[in-house]
Amino acid sequence: MAGNEEQPNMQPEMPADQKGEAVPPPAKATKPRVKSFHCINCGAAVTIRYPGVSLSVICSGCHSVIDATDENYRILTKYFKATGQYQPLLELGSRGKLRGHLWEVIGYMVRSDVSSGYPWEEYLLFNPYYGYRWLTQDKGHWNIVTTIKRKPKRYLTSETELDGRKFKLYNTGRAQVDYVIGEFYWRVMLNTQVTMTDYLDAPQMLSMEKDDKEVIWSLSEYIEPEEVAKAFKPQTKFPRPDGVAATEPPKLKIRHNKIMMLFMIFWGIITCGQIYYSGTALNETALDYTNNFVPNTKQADITTPVFTLKKDKANVAISFNAPVDNSWFWAGGELVNDDTGVSYPFEQDAEYYYGVDDGEAWSEGSGFTKTIIPAVPAGKYYVNMDIESGSFKTTNPRAFSVTIKRNVPNWDNYVWSMIFLSILPIISWCMMRQTEVARWANSDYSPYVSSGS
Amino acid sequence: MQTLSCPSCGANVNFMSKASVFAVCSYCQSSLVKQGLDLEAIGKISELHDDLTPIQIGTTGVLSGDTFEVIGRLKVAYEDGFWNEWFTIGHQGLVGWLAEAQGFYALCFPVTDVAMPDKSAIQPGRKVSFGPFGYYEIEDIHEVTCMYSEGELPINAVQGRKSLSVDLTSDEGGMATIEYANQETRAYRGAYQDFDAFQFKNLRPIDGW
Repeated sequence: MAGNEEQPNMQPEMPADQKGEAVPPPAKATKPRVKSFHCINCGAAVTIRYPGVSLSVICSGCHSVIDATDENYRILTKYFKATGQYQPLLELGSRGKLRGHLWEVIGYMVRSDVSSGYPWEEYLLFNPYYGYRWLTQDKGHWNIVTTIKRKPKRYLTSETELDGRKFKLYNTGRAQVDYVIGEFYWRVMLNTQVTMTDYLDAPQMLSMEKDDKEVIWSLSEYIEPEEVAKAFKPQTKFPRPDGVAATEPPKLKIRHNKIMMLFMIFWGIITCGQIYYSGTALNETALDYTNNFVPNTKQADITTPVFTLKKDKANVAISFNAPVDNSWFWAGGELVNDDTGVSYPFEQDAEYYYGVDDGEAWSEGSGFTKTIIPAVPAGKYYVNMDIESGSFKTTNPRAFSVTIKRNVPNWDNYVWSMIFLSILPIISWCMMRQTEVARWANSDYSPYVSSGS
Repeated sequence: MQTLSCPSCGANVNFMSKASVFAVCSYCQSSLVKQGLDLEAIGKISELHDDLTPIQIGTTGVLSGDTFEVIGRLKVAYEDGFWNEWFTIGHQGLVGWLAEAQGFYALCFPVTDVAMPDKSAIQPGRKVSFGPFGYYEIEDIHEVTCMYSEGELPINAVQGRKSLSVDLTSDEGGMATIEYANQETRAYRGAYQDFDAFQFKNLRPIDGW
């Protein structure tokens, strides 16, 4: 019994020392009196489960709409359509506990969009304490719908706001009743159409239904088919959900947002670290070595003087400068620890070419080349290398220089880690977008397609 | 509380609110009008069939931390159905109405000192000033007839009493009602609240639920 566990202490009923023999009528339980009668149109037996709250009931024989409050059970609308037999997935009269409350299925409707003919099912749920809810079923997707009394704020045709949440215009259209059975808290009108406007903020949808009498707002929320099946234990198997429903929880969007948040955190950490290491790098020249070479020849075993590398485990930048001019210069060798003999090989190539083709000047390469050897321990080092060059016009000796810099700021690793880090967000964004496009596929107002398509 | 006796059957008739002018004897269903310290029987209220409501006289609830108790009822019918107006008394004798229809519950309180528009000027969409409480927009207008009453009430709620009921809403989610009956105009304002939020006690038991 809803909210009735405790006995109240405020009893306004008659005091016990009531004079006379009259006894106050005991607070009796209301027993919903199920009413049965025969349809005056076709004679079939009709039952009203909740007289007093149901205003109309539909004859299961001839599908006429009957006034449930009229003592003669007059026919409100004769139902002519013999076609379109629908089998409700949830049986009328079945009960289930949904979202904390017990509900009984008392009505069933099939409605469709007038212009497209697109149909969906609606089940009316009743609880004498909590009133009414709807369960709607569309392509295997379910929504639980509550009528709301508060009015959403509408300042744009494409948007509306309820409880501070913005809902985007999803669809507009006219709906008609194709099939109806059970009992309803209003006088069901067949052959009339209502204007419907849906606004979406998944997993919820705000809908406005308007006829010549009134405007009704309702709020639907996606509910998993399993939850509905578990509650009502239907005989019929539910159809498998097809496609992406408008109100389907935006799981991929939530996941993408999480991934983006992680991405931003890592991005921040790595960027801060990079800025810190760049700013605190020694960036110190350990050796500036100049020597001559004879162009277009090979020279082996050039050894530089010994130099000192400070700071444990830092990078070493080796750069060459050679006077290449439509020619090339190559150097290969190793950075050698003078004490331990540990060596770090390197190989570099400086080329510079230019010319004029079809009247257009071009050039490529340069006389400067640089390589970075990571994580070299501190100590005394020298460089041992071979050099070679070619395509020089003359073989007059020329000068080349080697510069060795200790602990230079290096952005290469940073750039690569950023690229690597972006892979996951890009994939998740693509997946999210695909779902969102599908979600809006049934809408005339999809933000993902241009209005022309 | 004031206790008077029913001129028809002699049973005690209690008045919890000074605002009440009408009561229905819970023994003999006589409709009684308060005349000073006496009660005058003016008829009988006929039994109500098919009455499925979770509220009853004696139900208590809470709104904004204040407890109220249901002491009277007016059930009205209109073209498209019916609803209940439950007369309530709360802290320091403050009276209100708990409107109940189709599982929606709103508690509202009388608004005095604010002039309401003339009945003839009422139409949907019109904004009505509720003075310090701002503007309310007219949603629906219903011709209603009293189909049943019980307990004590601040109005002469005989069966068949006719009135014009106007529903209004504010942008802030509030609701208001204006009732035009005979020569009187009454205005109320309040708010809808979820069933559970009212923390109702002493509800009417309903078989099977």
